[in-house]
Amino acid sequence: MTAVATARPAAGAATRAKGRKRRAVARDDRRSTLLSIVMWLAAAYFLLPLVWLLISATKTTGDLFSTFGYWFAPHFGLWDNIVRTFTYEDGAFGRWILNTILYAGAGSIGATILSTMAGYAFAKYEFPGGKAIFSVVLGSIMIPLTALAIPTYLLFSGAGLTDTPLAVIIPSLISPFGVYLMRVYAADSVPDSILEAARVDGAGEGRIFLQVALRQLGPGIVTVFLFALVATWNNYFLPLIMLNSSQFFPLTVGLAHWQATATNPSGGNTPLFDIVITGSVISVLPLVAAFLYLQRYWQSGLGTGAVKG
Amino acid sequence: MTAAPALAAVRPPRRRRATPAKRRQWIAAYVLIIPFLVVFIAMLVVPLVYSGWLSLFTSQLIGGQQFAGLTNYVNAVTDPKFLSSVGRMGLFLLVQVPIMLALALFFALALDSNRVRGKRFIRLAIFVPYAVPSVVATLMWGYLYGKDFGPISQFFQAIGLGTPDLLSNQTIFGSLVNIVTWEFVGYNMIILYAALRTIPAELLDAAEVDGAGAWRTAWSVKIPAIRPAILLTVIFSIIGSFQLFNEPNLLHGVAPNVIGTSYTPNLYAFNVAFVNQDVNYAASLAFILGIVIMIVSYVVQLSTNRAERNR
Amino acid sequence: MRSARKTATLLGGVAVVAALALAGCSPSTGSGDSSGPVSQADIDKAMNTPTTITFWSWVPDLKNEVALFEKKYPKIKVNTVNVGSGADQYTKLRTALKAGKGAPDAVQIEYQYISSFRLTNSLEDLSKYGADKLGSEYVDWVWNQVSDGGVWGIPQDSGPLGNLYRTDIMQQAGVTDPPKTWDEYAADAQKVKDNTSSYISNLPGNDPGQMVGFFWQAGAKPFGYDGKKSVKIDLDSADTQKVVSYWNDLIQKGLVSTDADFNDNWYQGFNSGKYAGWPSPAWAPVFLQGSAKATAGKWAAAKIPQWNAGDDVSGNWGGSGDSVLSSSQHKIAAYELIKFINNDKESTLQFANKQFLFPTLKSTLADPSFVDLKSDFYGGQQVNKLFTGISDTVDVKFEWLPFMDYVYSSYNDTLGKAISDKTDLKKGLTDWQTAVVAYAKKQGFTVTQ
Repeated sequence: MTAVATARPAAGAATRAKGRKRRAVARDDRRSTLLSIVMWLAAAYFLLPLVWLLISATKTTGDLFSTFGYWFAPHFGLWDNIVRTFTYEDGAFGRWILNTILYAGAGSIGATILSTMAGYAFAKYEFPGGKAIFSVVLGSIMIPLTALAIPTYLLFSGAGLTDTPLAVIIPSLISPFGVYLMRVYAADSVPDSILEAARVDGAGEGRIFLQVALRQLGPGIVTVFLFALVATWNNYFLPLIMLNSSQFFPLTVGLAHWQATATNPSGGNTPLFDIVITGSVISVLPLVAAFLYLQRYWQSGLGTGAVKG
Repeated sequence: MTAAPALAAVRPPRRRRATPAKRRQWIAAYVLIIPFLVVFIAMLVVPLVYSGWLSLFTSQLIGGQQFAGLTNYVNAVTDPKFLSSVGRMGLFLLVQVPIMLALALFFALALDSNRVRGKRFIRLAIFVPYAVPSVVATLMWGYLYGKDFGPISQFFQAIGLGTPDLLSNQTIFGSLVNIVTWEFVGYNMIILYAALRTIPAELLDAAEVDGAGAWRTAWSVKIPAIRPAILLTVIFSIIGSFQLFNEPNLLHGVAPNVIGTSYTPNLYAFNVAFVNQDVNYAASLAFILGIVIMIVSYVVQLSTNRAERNR
Repeated sequence: MRSARKTATLLGGVAVVAALALAGCSPSTGSGDSSGPVSQADIDKAMNTPTTITFWSWVPDLKNEVALFEKKYPKIKVNTVNVGSGADQYTKLRTALKAGKGAPDAVQIEYQYISSFRLTNSLEDLSKYGADKLGSEYVDWVWNQVSDGGVWGIPQDSGPLGNLYRTDIMQQAGVTDPPKTWDEYAADAQKVKDNTSSYISNLPGNDPGQMVGFFWQAGAKPFGYDGKKSVKIDLDSADTQKVVSYWNDLIQKGLVSTDADFNDNWYQGFNSGKYAGWPSPAWAPVFLQGSAKATAGKWAAAKIPQWNAGDDVSGNWGGSGDSVLSSSQHKIAAYELIKFINNDKESTLQFANKQFLFPTLKSTLADPSFVDLKSDFYGGQQVNKLFTGISDTVDVKFEWLPFMDYVYSSYNDTLGKAISDKTDLKKGLTDWQTAVVAYAKKQGFTVTQ
């Protein structure tokens, strides 16, 4: 299951508006300076820690502790840090990136497929047990992860699958929130009428789903995918328990692992702050880029997905 | 055989036998949900049942596992550490969720009002923290909060106000509220913002014709219009705050004596399982936590449903 | 609805059966193979059979020593895996042992945790492979840590306690020689406070290892385990109370800070001169070099202050050995591995000089390349020589409880919390004692206090 528990998802909801007309023209072109200033301060607050992260990535460990956090050190070490990050521990970091892409990619694509199919079914078909099963799925969002951690580990261990990528990917295929989102979106954006029309035309249910429904579900699918992507990319607890070998770690576990050498020292260990910080910067960039790039999809996906509370 | 009504909109009576057409649809529905259900059962139901089974036993380092019925549960509801952690999370809920959602709503409204310069950049800036993994977020804030050398401290020193200890017993709660709010305001804001964008133009036109200013419009028209969206963010935030784990766990490294082993219920269950090596007790703690979450969520949902029906 | 209900019941039934089946399968924690000593022929045969073994250890660059081993025994391939340091690794190890799968053949275990793995019969007694003959090659008190009714591990490194201090700050405070007794230390602390803006040192609230090291030096024996069902827990004895009152005094007078150690803030403290010293173990000098570069050349090392003038006793903080798990399928190969890396001259010298693990093998401790090394960070002092001398003064007998995970974790909630909150340390100590006793009883041990 995607780390829904820790990601604290909130569903997109808007009133079911009759004749949803988007406001095409800006209502008011007056710009409020006061409001702008407030919002810019807010933006600064949200970016504050990230700015520190970026600047710190240019410093060596020694400089980290002896220079002011929000300005650069005399020695600009960003390139050195990047090189060290990628070469430390035999290129572990590069492997971690590939692992994260694998887990997040496979997990979120898989979760999207499963959620889309299930959400569509719950929305557009009335079948025995449908409502009951859906309630159970919704209810499952409330289950604390710790209740599942050890039993899931023992299950996988029995199957000999711990310390393998499957141990991370399979649980992340379930996204109850994705099912919920998709159900709501499907209910709204796939009118019964076109389904009926297709049935009258003689199309089988499978074809209806693949050729008629999916087209309508586009933005919703992208939304579910993106949120599943964030959850699996940032997944920490599950891989932490399942994986032992550094070669399978995703970025989150790997970075925490390096960080732990600084807080849990014993003979031979030296703090690895510089590469933890540089690694953190590198790990944040892809997601931010993905969101930037796919902005218009998820915004419309959330917006036009009218949801009943 | 009676023919079932053709329109799918009419719900067929329970005991009526289904037409072949209906049957075909049922099969299609099952086929569509089977993949999800299989993984769901394997990854959720089975471990849950096993966890429940474990919670009925006690284990000792000397003596091994023994069947103990509901002993663990009795211990859990009288365990002061557990109770105080649940209480603390309740407090967290009452403090953090309103702050976070109020901020999210404010930001969403502000951006929607189109009166802000640089809207797109600000929207992205507020949202970015959501894309940051909690490991990195805690790392950053752990540094910023540093008592002697963190920038916040240095700022206070520069203006002559002494060094605030943001990781002390009194301030850790607020510091944690800050981190979690920082991480999730953007997420909630985007949801509410998207909802705001779907408010039909007619409503807003009507408000303007009536002479309502921006604030009045926001309060009386926009907010009620996105009520379901707000309610849902509330429910999921409630669930999330009771399950808080990553942030306190990682903050423990920075403030190990202030964040104790039982700071949040989930953290307590985790420590009981992995440090105290008492998997059985941990399972019972997790179950009770799940029940608490369910109760609170249903209460909130019921009362808002009632409010909606009465509207 | 009938079909749905049937499906639900069926699924439910399957789930219950599956769960019962899982609950029923109890993993074996160890095959108590009590055959006699292993012959040389057996060993030779095992070392010439192509085998792959897994070794869990968090020592950085361990592959260098392992490579030496693989060169000598080309048929044995070793997979070194770092699954986390200390407590993180033990958690994973316990989970793997519980599941009956995924545990390694050889593993690094700190001395204080050995008894907890003996409790579950997870460690192989190495005396049947001839390990008992190695005893005389190692420093006495270290060997005692790994041998108690059998040999449970081969020692690797240790952490005898000394005192690192900033020469410049102490000079500024008017202190010419490092303090020889704790009374002198307290007086010097006052001088440092009065004449500089530093503290003589920091007492963290989250480091039970350091505190227990102090107890050890004071002659206390807070823990005992008979190897079966009985434990001794004496955390608030006269000796420990002496230590705790001493530090309580310093804290109340504001002579030491109480920051948590091994985090951002703490490293900054060293770099900025907030801490003028650190009562620290033998692995600390190199550690400080990496994290407090700005202060290079200004440090020196000395013996730890004594309780009575003229004494020469120290305690230990940290250090680990390597053990073989009883669940291993390749016990002989695993044993030869840990014996080699911790006993072979070249390997142990590498550990000492390249990875800066403080040695436990007497021959390495006497080796000139190690002992005579001059350290620039410490103003050219022969730091290793000093700590080698200290190593000989560590109290020979010190036992641990078979659940140190819990003991250390409850420290943070009790005595550690008192330190960090600057409240009554003696009460914190009593609370710690109470918590540990309660846990032991709950776990079914017989407790003597």
